Amino acid sequence: MERPHGPTGVGLGLRSRYLERVAEGALEGVVDFLEISPENFMHRGGRSHALLERIADRHPILSHGLMLSLGGTGPFDPAYLDTLRDFLSRTGSPWHSDHLCFSGLEGTLLHDLLPVPFSTASARHVAERVMRVRDHLGRPMAVENISWYAHGGASDRDEAEFIAEVCGRADCGLLLDVNNCWVNAKNHGTDVMDFLSKVPLDRVIQIHVAGHERYDDDLYVDTHGARAEPRVHELLAWVVERTGPVPVLLERDNNLPPLEELVDELAGIRATYEAAIARHRQRSIHTEHTSHATR
Amino acid sequence: MRPVDATAETVPEAAPGVLALFRICVDPDAPARLAADADRYLADLGLGPSDRAALLATGPRRLVTYRRLVHNRLRNATRGLMPRTVARRGDAAFGADFDGFMAERGPKSPYLRDVPGEFLAWVAPRWADAPDVPPYLAQLGRYELLDYEVANEPSGGEPHTGRPLALDRPLRVDGSVRLARFDYGFHRLPRNPKDRTVPEQADTPLLVYRDRTAYKARYLLLSSFGWELMRRIVEDGSAVEPALREACAALGRPLDDHHLAVAAELFADLEGRGVLLGAR
Repeated sequence: MERPHGPTGVGLGLRSRYLERVAEGALEGVVDFLEISPENFMHRGGRSHALLERIADRHPILSHGLMLSLGGTGPFDPAYLDTLRDFLSRTGSPWHSDHLCFSGLEGTLLHDLLPVPFSTASARHVAERVMRVRDHLGRPMAVENISWYAHGGASDRDEAEFIAEVCGRADCGLLLDVNNCWVNAKNHGTDVMDFLSKVPLDRVIQIHVAGHERYDDDLYVDTHGARAEPRVHELLAWVVERTGPVPVLLERDNNLPPLEELVDELAGIRATYEAAIARHRQRSIHTEHTSHATR
Repeated sequence: MRPVDATAETVPEAAPGVLALFRICVDPDAPARLAADADRYLADLGLGPSDRAALLATGPRRLVTYRRLVHNRLRNATRGLMPRTVARRGDAAFGADFDGFMAERGPKSPYLRDVPGEFLAWVAPRWADAPDVPPYLAQLGRYELLDYEVANEPSGGEPHTGRPLALDRPLRVDGSVRLARFDYGFHRLPRNPKDRTVPEQADTPLLVYRDRTAYKARYLLLSSFGWELMRRIVEDGSAVEPALREACAALGRPLDDHHLAVAAELFADLEGRGVLLGAR
């Protein structure tokens, strides 16, 4: 899959609390793009709608949805897909992403991200639905790996192999959430580097960075309610060193701090990103030299 | 390649594990049954040995955690848009109500902001029959939701037609306008969710619209004549003259100079607020 053309660099997930200030230009020169959840703006007028129009004039927009329920069953809601398609056209998002999970069944929507089995049957099912959505929306799709706290059923492969199979079958992009892989590694005692070495990095079209919190004594939950841990920065750097320039997004949904604090965290993420890009260039040069030398 | 139809059915059944996780999130008995005998409960949900082993690999508490995450998100969304209604119901009773909603109906809209309205529509008739629920509570919920609904209504802010009001023509009305009638004066209640003042019982006909500059919902208390008139203008799309006649007839009053003057004053006020946008 050829990586679709779009913004690269560092961005922020746009939240209602910051709309006014972002519309006034508070993130000019700070971010390379913004990401929005279309469900927060679709079928909605008033203040949010007016501010988003001003924001879209200032920043490139990427679209990241919550409600496709790619691992669910039943037909997609045609009204929802039509509205989403129109919304993507208006905001100019070069692709649309959603989560590798199910969010509801039998017409009932749980508004959360629940796991599916890591199996061939499941991969085939999800991939088929990704292709259906892609064709309806008329633009590339990417799927995001989720934080999962229990298995979604009997599996015949691990999560990384499952993700690779879905992406391969659907020929879609991967939105790699490095916080989610770290949360899963902590919760399930798995090797995060083994995970990263098995997912298809050549399909990564975007990266998410976030913080997580301890929920119960033995469980970490992807709350997007804290700063990203240093280990998440290390994972980001490892991935970017191999992918090269991609859009890297900071997600924050809970314990929302003043915008200045997020700007400060974004500066740290940018430093990590740029150092990784520099190493990526070194790797590319080294690979080129090695290639010439062996001819 | 011909695009596939995204809205056509392809897979009729969910994987057993997926279906079980879904049931755990909506079944009010799930936490107790998982605590008592998780393996038996999952077997009752139709899971075979390999799926049961997979779901229980991280322990039954993790399954309950999913349920808590789902319910917390949905309840918080509901509390966020109906803070006074939920507070007056009380946490425990609201939790039980919400469990019932999840078990019997659950959210259907892809928009999280619609969940409070879906919950209220389900619970209102049940509250009407419940002796421990204040008789005004469902209406308070509707009143609280109205604020968000009008402020975020996709329509609204349309331009003036450029045509002056005329007796023989219907009027264009701003798309955000709602007419709502309550049996209580909720507009006089303090906004603090901790307040427990009982609302005064009073017929309260309201016209609610979105302010064009502040994007906030604004409330106008209508007279009974104003209500009858605007209902015909807004909801029926009537021309002005028949709306005037029918409004007076509904109240058993003559259409006289007094009512014409009141209507003229109301129309002028509403036009100034950007609610009435000229003749269609």
